[in-house]
Amino acid sequence: MTQLIQILLLGLALGGVYALMASGLTLIFGVMGIVNLAHAAFMTLAAYLALLAFMRYALDPILSIVIVMPAMFVLGLLVYELLFARLFSDARARGMTVLLTFALALVVEGVLGYFFTNIYRSTTPDYTASALLFGPYYLPEGQAYATALSMGILGLLWAFLQYTRTGYAIRATMQNRTAAEVVGVNVGRISMLVFGIGMALAGASGSMMSFLFPFYPGKHWEWVAILLSLVVLGGMGSLLGALIGALVLSVVAAYVSSFYGPTWSPVTFYLALFLILLIRPQGLFGKRPEI
Amino acid sequence: MAPPAETLTSRPGMAVAAASSASKVLCIGLLLALAAGFPLLHLYQGGLNYWLHMLLFAYMNIAVASSWNIIGGYAGYISLGHNVFLAVGGYFSGILFAYYGISPFITTPFAGLAAMAVGFVVGMITLRTRGPTFIISTIALVLVTKIALDNWDYIGGANGMSLPLVPLPVDVVKLPFYYGMLLIAIGAVYVSFRIRRSKFGLGLRAISQDEIRAEVAGVPTGLYKILAFAVSGLFVGMAGALWGYYLTFLRPTIFLSILIGAKIVLMTILGGRGTVAGPVVGAALFIGANEFFVSQFGASELNIAATGALLILALLFFPDGIVGTLKHKGRLPKALDWD
Repeated sequence: MTQLIQILLLGLALGGVYALMASGLTLIFGVMGIVNLAHAAFMTLAAYLALLAFMRYALDPILSIVIVMPAMFVLGLLVYELLFARLFSDARARGMTVLLTFALALVVEGVLGYFFTNIYRSTTPDYTASALLFGPYYLPEGQAYATALSMGILGLLWAFLQYTRTGYAIRATMQNRTAAEVVGVNVGRISMLVFGIGMALAGASGSMMSFLFPFYPGKHWEWVAILLSLVVLGGMGSLLGALIGALVLSVVAAYVSSFYGPTWSPVTFYLALFLILLIRPQGLFGKRPEI
Repeated sequence: MAPPAETLTSRPGMAVAAASSASKVLCIGLLLALAAGFPLLHLYQGGLNYWLHMLLFAYMNIAVASSWNIIGGYAGYISLGHNVFLAVGGYFSGILFAYYGISPFITTPFAGLAAMAVGFVVGMITLRTRGPTFIISTIALVLVTKIALDNWDYIGGANGMSLPLVPLPVDVVKLPFYYGMLLIAIGAVYVSFRIRRSKFGLGLRAISQDEIRAEVAGVPTGLYKILAFAVSGLFVGMAGALWGYYLTFLRPTIFLSILIGAKIVLMTILGGRGTVAGPVVGAALFIGANEFFVSQFGASELNIAATGALLILALLFFPDGIVGTLKHKGRLPKALDWD
């Protein structure tokens, strides 16, 4: 019983980080209808930035979020302006945007592989080696910080969306793009801003990934499939859905991993993806596909 | 009772098309004669094994790209997981060969059928979704298949399995593979051509234009999509079976990297999605260019980055591909208009 609760605890803690990783993905989909297959590639890029800061300047990966997030935000604005802004006005090209993000992911992967080679890396601040004890249960210290920070960032994001004028405009665009435009929302600018925010979220989660999960340039495909399964379960475009999807699937994966071995942990996500597509393609909180 | 296919495709331009068919037949005939005759040059003067290898690799890619075009071009459902069919074909024939001693030269057609069956079952699940979600499910398919094969001890898991060598002298050992791949490529292009001209193909193209209107107009969209997905696996599975035997070594990573699936899409888009000649032109040019760059710069990570960059450029500035763009401008040589 203790073991079962321990696994649940670990699963929930991981789920919190997964939720942050998936938040940028679901936000961008909600506003623009773009499935950003390059999301995890940019996360990996951020992880390498954190690694550089850690190796060159001994900067703690959690602290480096302060630098990595704005850098990724600016990169997001640039990528949006260069690649997506004009495709977006053309409805027929919309189907191609997924391929575009796919190609972008290949570019990021190739460039990272060229500079950093294909070996596993990770940052190793002191807290990765210790654990926090709660009675009979434990939580790795780095994991605990990452989960708390993820929840904090998600809380800020939620407050931003809920209580600011820009957040209000973003939510309006998510609900109905045309109607938002009619009432005076500059959806083009909102899209650009959201793409930047999504990338900044990828940046924050990438910095934390750098000490939680070893990474190499090609690893991002596994990550993006995992993140997509969470987002599809919760319903594409729903932040609450991403959070719940992340918690549910990471707990299930934690049990699968402890009973059948860690190899099968990612399979949980992929199979879940197929099952959800089969049973309820719009997910738990997703909008029904528009006709 | 369905009307004969011809009436569906007859257009005012048909008479012109018929007049131009002579140059088309000549062009295709010449290509086929060159392809079939090339090994004679090798037998006569020798030392052309490298060229045989490149050509048979190009034929394989022509077959794969033409097959992908049936679901990705005609029906507009982008699959990034078509390399799974390569793996199915390769391992189907590989297992029969390694454990039961049946030569892949015999089992290749059945490997194609096996891939088709897999395509049917997978299509029943994934084709319930559209657009981005479908693309995601095809990526997940690649990852699931890779993990499954990596952990299946019977076939050696991630370490792979060796196949017995081909019992032929080195001068002629490539020839059966060369002609086999050529036949598979011809079959794939021919089937792709027949489908485009058929009521089935018309239905698929209607789906890519507007799926709901196609459904309302009476196209059985669900069945058509699944059939298109399954048929597009047929020749890919056959190519995989022959390719696996050619390599005499099977490993999941040979077939199941995301990059391979990406290249299938890229070469078809470069050539011209939805046209019959497009995948052929695209695959031939892409394989040539890729070989050139690999020999110049090495098969490094830059190859991945360049593949991605090329795909971005093609999507932004050249979405119709070579054949498609020329066709829109009315500049396509008649010999290349195979639709």
